[in-house]
Amino acid sequence: MSARVRRLTELSVLTAVALIIFVIELQIPNPFPIPGIKLGLSNIITVYAVYHYKAHEVAAVVAVRLALGAVFSGNFMALIYSASGAALCLIGMLLLRRWIDEKHLWIASVLGAVLHNTGQMAAALIVMQTPQLILYYPFLLVSGCLAGLFTGLCAQFVTLRLKNWKK
Amino acid sequence: MKNKVFIIIIAVIFIAGIVGSVFVLTAPQKNTVRIVSDGEVIETIDLSTAEDRTFDVTYEGHVNTVEIQNHQIRVSDADCPDKTCVNMGWLRSSSMPIVCLPHKLVIEFTDSVDSVDAVTR
Repeated sequence: MSARVRRLTELSVLTAVALIIFVIELQIPNPFPIPGIKLGLSNIITVYAVYHYKAHEVAAVVAVRLALGAVFSGNFMALIYSASGAALCLIGMLLLRRWIDEKHLWIASVLGAVLHNTGQMAAALIVMQTPQLILYYPFLLVSGCLAGLFTGLCAQFVTLRLKNWKK
Repeated sequence: MKNKVFIIIIAVIFIAGIVGSVFVLTAPQKNTVRIVSDGEVIETIDLSTAEDRTFDVTYEGHVNTVEIQNHQIRVSDADCPDKTCVNMGWLRSSSMPIVCLPHKLVIEFTDSVDSVDAVTR
């Protein structure tokens, strides 16, 4: 099998897994009724991909996941917020992977989650034109740290399990 | 070494978040409520004198049903998929508005308009 096809297949599998996790998470009721707060389990795949693929490959996986996620959840307005969050998060994590090694990937994950919330907040402020929204930001920071820690640790387990997959 | 720096950054963000959250949650309640749709104030209500009622706020064909009861206000129904605004319940903290992101709706406490009205009337 050519290396390019193999690469494409791996990325497609990752996207599909991320999408499945996303759809399953939709079915779990959110105990925190604050806009923007979410566990974001599908980011386990994002964090894993950031540490194993080139920047443009990760961006492609995330972009396809976001677009199809909007189709499956039927929530296209939310796409504005999640896309700007994801963009900031990706840029940040792709920079962070230069300094943070794979063993400490949870650190990058937490910072990525916080950046995601920051991007969301910025988008919401611009779209809604309501400065008071910034008062949600502290809650988003706390939840971002916790959710990022959880997904980061999950991604570390995934990395351990997938060591043999790529050979 | 670098990892420690990042962990300290995370700790600072986390603590700042918690302090901010406590600050926001303990802010006192006010009486006047403002309903903002797509960046425009569509209604200002004084809750202390408001009668119980239910009304719809429409944005691009989407509807949020707003309910006022016992001098409290909430979104009782919405036709959005996530219903976060409904789940937020009654408006409590003056610094944390009820928001419906898909329909660009905000319900928040605002400074009293009575003083202004008293003068203009």
